[in-house]
Amino acid sequence: MLWNIAYILYNYGHAIALGLGYTILITLTSYFIGLLLGISIALLRVYGDRASKALFTIFVELIRGTPMMVQLFFVYYALSEIGILLDPITASIIAIAINSAVYQSEYIRSAIGSIPYSQYESALSLGLTKLKTIWLVILPQAIRIAIPALVNEAIYLFKYSSIAYFVTAPELMYIGKLIGSRTFLYIEIYLILAFIYITASIILTELARIIEKKYFIPGLIKSRI
Amino acid sequence: MDGDILVVEDLWKFYGREAVLRDVNFSVRRNETKVIIGPSGSGKSTLLRCINLLVKPDRGRIILDGDIVTEKKRDIHNIRSQIGFVFQHFNLFNHLTAIDNVLLGLTKVKRLPREEALRKAKEALLSVGITEDLWRKYPAQLSGGQQQRVAIARAIAMDPKIILFDEPTSALDPELIWEVLNVMEKLSRGGMTMIVVTHELGFAMKVAHEVIFMDGGTIIEKGPPDQILMHPKNERVRRFMERMIYLYSLNNQFKV
Amino acid sequence: MDWETNPQFFTYINLIFSSIGTTLILSITSFGLATIVALILSFIEVFSSRPFSKLVEWYGRILRGIPLILALFIFYYGLPRIGFPLPPIYSAIMGIAIVDSAYQEQLFRGAIEAVGEKQLEAAYAIGLTRWGVFRYVVFPQAFRIALPGWINEFSIVLKDSSIAYAIGVVEMFTQAIHIAQVIADYLKPLLIISIIYLGICYPLSYISNRFHRKLMEMGMVGG
Repeated sequence: MLWNIAYILYNYGHAIALGLGYTILITLTSYFIGLLLGISIALLRVYGDRASKALFTIFVELIRGTPMMVQLFFVYYALSEIGILLDPITASIIAIAINSAVYQSEYIRSAIGSIPYSQYESALSLGLTKLKTIWLVILPQAIRIAIPALVNEAIYLFKYSSIAYFVTAPELMYIGKLIGSRTFLYIEIYLILAFIYITASIILTELARIIEKKYFIPGLIKSRI
Repeated sequence: MDGDILVVEDLWKFYGREAVLRDVNFSVRRNETKVIIGPSGSGKSTLLRCINLLVKPDRGRIILDGDIVTEKKRDIHNIRSQIGFVFQHFNLFNHLTAIDNVLLGLTKVKRLPREEALRKAKEALLSVGITEDLWRKYPAQLSGGQQQRVAIARAIAMDPKIILFDEPTSALDPELIWEVLNVMEKLSRGGMTMIVVTHELGFAMKVAHEVIFMDGGTIIEKGPPDQILMHPKNERVRRFMERMIYLYSLNNQFKV
Repeated sequence: MDWETNPQFFTYINLIFSSIGTTLILSITSFGLATIVALILSFIEVFSSRPFSKLVEWYGRILRGIPLILALFIFYYGLPRIGFPLPPIYSAIMGIAIVDSAYQEQLFRGAIEAVGEKQLEAAYAIGLTRWGVFRYVVFPQAFRIALPGWINEFSIVLKDSSIAYAIGVVEMFTQAIHIAQVIADYLKPLLIISIIYLGICYPLSYISNRFHRKLMEMGMVGG
């Protein structure tokens, strides 16, 4: 088996690297779009008017209650029926971004909820408008509180970007399948991929720890009394 | 009245059917320190929050140096920046350092240029005894007394017309109460117009120009500290004082 | 969306409903297996000596590091290689179970640790063995703390069962896609199964939230 693994790496190493590149592209793009959308959705659900609150609550529950696969196939196949044709990568990014946005909005929403009302009182007393209070006092704290969850979400997305395989986007799993169908060395290629994913996961987890430490403000979590 | 910085007229506030504030009337003159005492739940906190419209009164008017506060809609923020508020639980912004806490109002509300804001912030912090080594600390790294003093600095730095204190020492360990009261006394003697809701009767005796006793949402009696604390005219006030003096008479034994 | 002029569609709806069974069998079996494995592993990680703890830690790191599809493929292609040419559903169950066991292990470990050292101290002090401490003091409390997350995890497994499409297991999602390919319309089948997934997952999330709120009230969880 080891010989087979070496064989694959030698002959198809570049293809695997390409796949990794696309995986990273899909992951990062979806994550950051998801982050921006997620913050917006969270803010609208907490501070918006009745209509916005209702609309986005329904939207969030819809996405949370259905598999990412359904959402992906919807974006790639079903949308094409009404004329919106998307290439595999764009479709994957859109579907994954929306899914991630919904989960990120939940983390941020709960973080906002954990901030005591006294912080609002304080800010308003200084003369800050509601908007400024949210932007300068609430959101900075909420995001810091949500950092562990948000960072985990990035790691999670790295793995789930693999569903782009199903719409033939050239990410790692798809490349793996291609190599497998050419060489019939399926187990070998998948073990290689497993190694890549696991290593990336461990690296990302360490990165996560560094980021969490960097943004750690003593007392921000404990003071939620 | 020209010398009045603040006038509270016929103030009423209802929560449901219950009147939390009932026909409250008083005024505060420039440089005056008013202390409000009374049992818990007597509406004192609500009263303060009505003054800077954190809570909207149901009836009555509040006039700050000529501006009718209760009629302000859009520019309430401007009014609020002229009223300082010090909370029982300090309410410092947890994600900002001490100096940033003081800077926030200066840069984002008063829109002062950075250097001037920094100068005022440092001045305010030093005046409450917060030295430079503490400026870059986060609230959680400071003691309760230090946090409250930073909160006071935050209020002072805005050059307010009046500062409202809502039981500023009630959440502090006994040993830390002194440092905060000390700062407040200095502030008062320096001419700041203040309304202080507190249980610290010694402070009221020493620093207040007038003491107001509230219970059940109304003012029961008001007058000079000597009158209210030592020889109150009202029976209810007298009963309250008797119980408080009992507590304090133990302390007085150490004073000699 | 014309329902009348597409009578075949109704035949196909039946197919979808019959495939719900496969989805449920797949989900419940994998989830059940994962729970059993995770319980054992979390006990080992918290109560055993360092080498065993580390082993479990690495088990988690490896299995949580790979995408679910990858696990499915490894079983799908690997099982025949080592002499067990089983139908795809076995690979699916094993793949989902083993990956989910790693996530559930984290969940249970967190719950056990949330019970707090003081409880453990008291338990040992009255003379209970490690197993006794676990059974009578830790488990009852950890169980309650883990419940909301555990219910949520089932919801996740149910949704992830759709990935078994990759290895040809005819569960609800796969069935919907097959139908969609035949009637050249993805929208309707996807909509139908969305409603079904929602119909199971939304109530579950509601129940999970109720438990979580109750726990917060009881002070067992910091919210």
